Amino acid sequence: YINTRVLRGLQSGLSSDRLWSFSSTASVAARSYSHGKQETDEEFDARWVTYFNKPDIDAWELRKGMNTLIGYDLVPEPKILEAALRACRRLNDLASAIRILEAVKDKSGPHKEIYPYVLQELRPTLSELGIPTPEELGIDKA
Amino acid sequence: MSLPKPAMRGLLAKRLRFHLPIAFGLSIIAAVAFKFTVTEPRKQAYADFYKHYDSMKEFSAMREAGVFESVRPTGK
Repeated sequence: YINTRVLRGLQSGLSSDRLWSFSSTASVAARSYSHGKQETDEEFDARWVTYFNKPDIDAWELRKGMNTLIGYDLVPEPKILEAALRACRRLNDLASAIRILEAVKDKSGPHKEIYPYVLQELRPTLSELGIPTPEELGIDKA
Repeated sequence: MSLPKPAMRGLLAKRLRFHLPIAFGLSIIAAVAFKFTVTEPRKQAYADFYKHYDSMKEFSAMREAGVFESVRPTGK
């Protein structure tokens, strides 16, 4: 399928849409058409915040949402992560909350400045919900 | 000390945009280099070998050496 957000972000002359059809580096658009209205970053973020803010979200939806989100070529915005962490709280799922933080670090790859920034932005939420970071638990090192 | 917001989107795309042309370029160079350092000399070596190859002479030499079962050396 066509990775529309990649094409848009690149603004490049790469013509073949097949070039970007890797199965795991999914597009950021929910529907992968090259035609049709492109979703903005803000719309994308808002959609995901709404997804995790569902009051009666269930465990499956939480896992499905996180796994889908992690499949995109982006590190989720702190506001999406906050909504996901609050969903973990509603589901009494501390393990998933900590796992989400691990996932953020992993998604950052070689860009080591992203994780500290995200933690900085999430600090009030982490304190409020009583979520320890992997570093605080000592589980960030093998 | 408040950390500034880093780039968080399209990181893989950026990396690929840089590395994929290099990867394709290097692969093509490797293929071209192989063609001209291995396959073409090999083809030339075969061509040179067979340019003045006398198959009947070679056959007779083998026959006299007695390596065939279907024909005996001349004189036997």
